[in-house]
Amino acid sequence: MAPVVQCMGLTKTYGRKIALNQVNLNLERGRIIGLLGPNGSGKTTLIKIMNGLLKPTAGEVLINGQRPGVDTKLRISYLPERTYLQPGMKVLELVQYFQDFYPDFRVDRALDMLARLQIPPQERLKNLSKGTKEKVQLIMVMSRDADLYILDEPIAGVDPAARDYILHTIVNNYNRCGSILLSTHLISDVENILDEVVFIKYGSIVLHAGAEQIRQNEHKSVDRFFREVFAC
Amino acid sequence: MLGKLMKYEWKATWKLLLSANILTVVMTVLARCMVSLMDQAGHSDFRMVDFMAVMVLFTYVGSMFAVCIGTTIYLIHRFYTSTYGDQGYLLHTLPVDTHHIIIAKVLVSAAWVTINIVFIYLSVIFLLATSSEILHSMMEGMVDVIEYLGAEKISLFTVVMTLIAFIFSIFARVLKVGACISLGQLSSNHKLMLSFAWYVGIYVVEQMFQGVYFAIMVYVQEKASYRSYWSYGSYFDNQWETTLLAAILSCVAYYLLTWYVMDKKLNLD
Repeated sequence: MAPVVQCMGLTKTYGRKIALNQVNLNLERGRIIGLLGPNGSGKTTLIKIMNGLLKPTAGEVLINGQRPGVDTKLRISYLPERTYLQPGMKVLELVQYFQDFYPDFRVDRALDMLARLQIPPQERLKNLSKGTKEKVQLIMVMSRDADLYILDEPIAGVDPAARDYILHTIVNNYNRCGSILLSTHLISDVENILDEVVFIKYGSIVLHAGAEQIRQNEHKSVDRFFREVFAC
Repeated sequence: MLGKLMKYEWKATWKLLLSANILTVVMTVLARCMVSLMDQAGHSDFRMVDFMAVMVLFTYVGSMFAVCIGTTIYLIHRFYTSTYGDQGYLLHTLPVDTHHIIIAKVLVSAAWVTINIVFIYLSVIFLLATSSEILHSMMEGMVDVIEYLGAEKISLFTVVMTLIAFIFSIFARVLKVGACISLGQLSSNHKLMLSFAWYVGIYVVEQMFQGVYFAIMVYVQEKASYRSYWSYGSYFDNQWETTLLAAILSCVAYYLLTWYVMDKKLNLD
């Protein structure tokens, strides 16, 4: 079976600035992959290109063997690093919205997660705190049976207790046949759930290896190794 | 998916825009009541009721402008935030075709612009109909127009086509705003300012085209006989054809521009 993601010579420039430089990357199915790099390393640019929100300057990305488009959007569940919800919508209307557009959306799973967090379905999104909005967004994304979950900085800017909840939600709700691509610079929090890591620096992939392989070969945690690789 | 997109576009806009149109109705009723009061009081010296009526009429006119401008600004803001703002991250990751996104937004926006225009026209007619003299004059005017149209052999077909041309013009205006906002997204910085610059630029080009067209028309008509130029029949016939053609060409051009940017050059950074 073809890799879920294939990047071939992927390049993105903004004027003279190179955000991604000849990225070649294959991501296999059924894995939790950490896309790790400091701020401004190109993580979000790579993710946006996979989702069709940005067009590459050169090269190509294939999801399930297809260029980003309607078919790939059916199979990707994407959590951006910002809130994309309509403030006037009620939580239940958002559930309905996802159900209307994504055939793989599981309403029962979403309502169950909302109930566990005691988020009232009739509440308007504008009345929720920033942290609760982020959780609602995560619940929507993880209530799909997608082939690829792309989570951009899902634990950035939240307290440690919320981080635990988020990671717990991710690990317990994803489609086991699919993969998760999780972008973050908070390695220590996610290290334990990762199967693979991709280090990205100045828009180039500097390492793609198994998390366990790093721990065995380098005799240190992924977090420690990351700090060495990206030391200023 | 087009139906679903339209449903959510409508749901996102109806509350505020319906409220604006209800304000039109309320202000119309209020203004009409005040004018009636003023009429009933007769033509004596200036009194408090006259002062209040003038104030209400000023507020009425102001609210009509506010509703018109407010609706336009709200629709532009809605297009921008839901397409190229944060909400665009959700919209552009939905498994829907770009054509459907554009069509849904244009149809709903055009519907609101049309509703707005209809409400304001009805409001003005309702207000003017307050006075029996004005109403009588309006009816006479309508009869004159109908008689004139009949005399000039303006067919029902021409009237319908003029209406269709008007509707296409609304679509063209909505699509022009969408295209300008989209073109502004091609830059990494100052996107809104560039959108405005595109709008001004396109407006200037349109005016130039119009100027050239009218200059040609005047030249052609000067060659023709005086009577044929001022015949209302020929005037109307020329008008709807030109307006419809220009509106359709504008719709196609602005639609393609919007689609090209959204589908081939999307740049949500």
